[in-house]
Amino acid sequence: MIKSQTRRRLRKVVAAATTLTLIAAACGGDDDDTADEPAGEPADEPAPEPSDEPADEPADEPADEPADEPADEPADEPADEPADEPADEPAAEGGSLKLGILGECEGAFGGFHEDVVAGVSLAMVEDGGATVNSTTSALDGFTGANVAGLDIELVGIGCGDDTADRIIQEVRALVEQQGAEVVIGPLSGDESIAVANYAKDHPEVTFIDGIAGAQETTMQVQAPNYFRFHGDGAQWNAGLGDILYNEAGWETAAIIADDYSFGWTSAAGFIADFCAVGGDVVSRVFPPLGTTDYSSFVQQLPDPDEVDGYFWVVGGTGTNAALEAFVNAKGDLTGDQHAGNLFFSPALASALGPDIAGAYVGGFASLPADIQTPEIEAYLASADATWETLAAGAAGGEVGPPSVALGFGFGYGYYAAGKALNQALEAVGGDLSDNHAALREEMSTMTLDVPYGEVTLDENRHGIITTYVQQLVLDDESGEVVAETIALVPGVDQSFGGTFSPDTPPPDRDNPSCETRDLPWSGNAIPVVDGVPQE
Amino acid sequence: MNRSWRDLVAVAVVAILVLLPLFGSAFFVEFVMTRTVILGLAASSIVFLSAYGGMVSLAQLLLFGIAGFMVGNAVGEAGSKGLKLGWNAWVAVVFALAVTVAVAALLGALSARTAGIYFLMLTLTYAVIGYYFFGQVTTFSGFGGITGIDAPPWFEGHPVRLYYVCVVLSVVTYVGLRLLVRSPFGMALQGVRDDPVRMASLGFNVALHRTLAFTFAGFIAGVAGVLNIWWNGQIDPTSISIGPTLDLLIIAVIGGIVHLEGAWLGAFVYVMANNYMRNLPFADTIGLTEARFNTVVGLLVLLIMLLSPDGLVGVILRIRTAATGLRGDGGSTSDDASDHQIATADGGPKGPPVPTHTREGSIR
Repeated sequence: MIKSQTRRRLRKVVAAATTLTLIAAACGGDDDDTADEPAGEPADEPAPEPSDEPADEPADEPADEPADEPADEPADEPADEPADEPADEPAAEGGSLKLGILGECEGAFGGFHEDVVAGVSLAMVEDGGATVNSTTSALDGFTGANVAGLDIELVGIGCGDDTADRIIQEVRALVEQQGAEVVIGPLSGDESIAVANYAKDHPEVTFIDGIAGAQETTMQVQAPNYFRFHGDGAQWNAGLGDILYNEAGWETAAIIADDYSFGWTSAAGFIADFCAVGGDVVSRVFPPLGTTDYSSFVQQLPDPDEVDGYFWVVGGTGTNAALEAFVNAKGDLTGDQHAGNLFFSPALASALGPDIAGAYVGGFASLPADIQTPEIEAYLASADATWETLAAGAAGGEVGPPSVALGFGFGYGYYAAGKALNQALEAVGGDLSDNHAALREEMSTMTLDVPYGEVTLDENRHGIITTYVQQLVLDDESGEVVAETIALVPGVDQSFGGTFSPDTPPPDRDNPSCETRDLPWSGNAIPVVDGVPQE
Repeated sequence: MNRSWRDLVAVAVVAILVLLPLFGSAFFVEFVMTRTVILGLAASSIVFLSAYGGMVSLAQLLLFGIAGFMVGNAVGEAGSKGLKLGWNAWVAVVFALAVTVAVAALLGALSARTAGIYFLMLTLTYAVIGYYFFGQVTTFSGFGGITGIDAPPWFEGHPVRLYYVCVVLSVVTYVGLRLLVRSPFGMALQGVRDDPVRMASLGFNVALHRTLAFTFAGFIAGVAGVLNIWWNGQIDPTSISIGPTLDLLIIAVIGGIVHLEGAWLGAFVYVMANNYMRNLPFADTIGLTEARFNTVVGLLVLLIMLLSPDGLVGVILRIRTAATGLRGDGGSTSDDASDHQIATADGGPKGPPVPTHTREGSIR
């Protein structure tokens, strides 16, 4: 018995000692690892053979190194590493660039996965001569893209579900596992805030926002390697409140908005615009994103005879459900008593009937179909030439012409991001040196030339855009509900005419407050008649 | 499994984990394995409660999340959500664990008089309440969650250090739990698990034992929650919604909900499937995309429930037993010794084998 106990104790001691020894050894190894590897390797490798390596290095390094480097070094040696690494890449010729896309395959916007991947792919087809791997699905990716001498390799397509938690897992897989050097995406507001914060810890990677519209992403987080070539949710509603107050006769409004950063930002734009000219927001209701039964939230809204109108920021799969809950609770829709952000589309009429006609709609990244320019026509034709069909989220997931996917803001936002990358790469000759310094400088200062209008960036690397206001109307000929552009508002910046700044609280359930203010575009929106701006 | 074999395997696994950064890719160590160890640590709290307290809890991920949210609120300085207290990271840890333990004690006390399916449902209710609380109350989070949370400066730029801290805390937890279940408290807890009425009639305070066990498990989950927000940099209510709550239970079930080791083994299988399933050759062609992950995990759990109710650890034990039998060792099977260990107060094997929790499967 005693012998057995002694043996047991001895075994425990040996086990503990072995474990501690191993921990000590490995911790020592860790220090060496973190201290030597990144600092040592780049210093050794690039210097001796800068011109020989490019063909090999890019292929090897991202696979093995990126995970090491970003993880270990970013905080300590941002200046050293990049300076070394590029030495074997800048010569562009024969170099490569690993590209990752952060899409959305689940959640309220999961239907748009195909659209957004198609957007980036089309940019690569147009600028890089890429070939899509399938003519019926963009999700199969593309091959053969070469821009400014760099082979653009699509290393992965992240699958978000509109939550920050999931997108962080996805972006980490793209960057740390697949070695993506440039990431295009994400799509949704909360995701973009999380990714922008992630970007701060990964200065070696360049991020170009897909179509996420949260204000905080660029205005508060301000990651120097995060770029957004479109507006945020607030900017897309510029001019809408002014028109509702002065032309539609709304003096009071109730707001129902998704309870997350994009919903808040989108509502903030409407509140700032509507209250600026004297309107009053009497009620704000915030259902969680992804809600399926909106009845309890609709009940919290004032009745139609108690308020002049309702502003809806219920997006994705929720728009229809929320409006149907309204009809059930408050009676039939009176079109011009409603306004919505980008999710108010003619497609709503299929479920709600023509009563939705008359509703006002804020703008988005792409223009409605009633405005056509040669550039837009060429862009849509290019999409139709690239794929035979796509199951676009913009078409409710139904298989149809690819131009449907690319004609809607989600696909277009990703397309613009891809075009921005390509335009900047061409301008700097594919120079990725010094943590993409030249590329980032170019993106910060260039004017992006894309079909639906030029975009420049502000000091926070956020788009200054032209936005517009639409109205859903009954088409005289077909009798169907269509969107008609009624005004354009050029030069809308993220500060919203000085309303928002990094020091003001980011939009949330209570912010901004409803107060009159001077907005540069109040009363100055450019009317659009029959698709022609009346400048 | 006899003790020497069990110890040997444990030491070997720890040795591999410790040496892993020397030969594993950075992504594998800093992402896959760090996440594995964190989830394993959290799942071990479920296994502890289930195996030794007879309480299958769905509230552990809530406690995991509370710790994360508290760290986020305490250290955060900007953004639209949270308290933004801007505290020192280590003070935040103490604060987070204190809040988590307090909540665990409260929830444990409230549910201490329930058992079986009622306990399960009550803890599920806690999880749902927690999800909506952090989603609705933007003072603490909001649905967008709290982002941009950095680990303490010591970890900055050294994710391997975080990995090692996770491994060390897992080892400490594993050893600590094994010691705890052999302590007088642990023995009494197992008595409460096996026959609460008899234990009450013997003068033991059943509710108090359950509450203390729940509180201790909450502390373990809280530690995992702190590590998680350091590792992930953000937390939002989705992180603790029903899906992930069930995932943690699934992790415990995959590994073996009656074996402490099963928590980490289950986490390893879960994280590997989560990260690498989509990379399998031809995975796309048979529909194994990221969006199908839950289906695959569901099938895996179904298989395990049918073939080995005590999870992968149970499979390993059976293989070990079969191998022993083939060698003609005879004598008691490997399980018996350790089971006696758990089931007898003096920690030593004696007397004929008695049925224990490991023999009865995970449902109690």
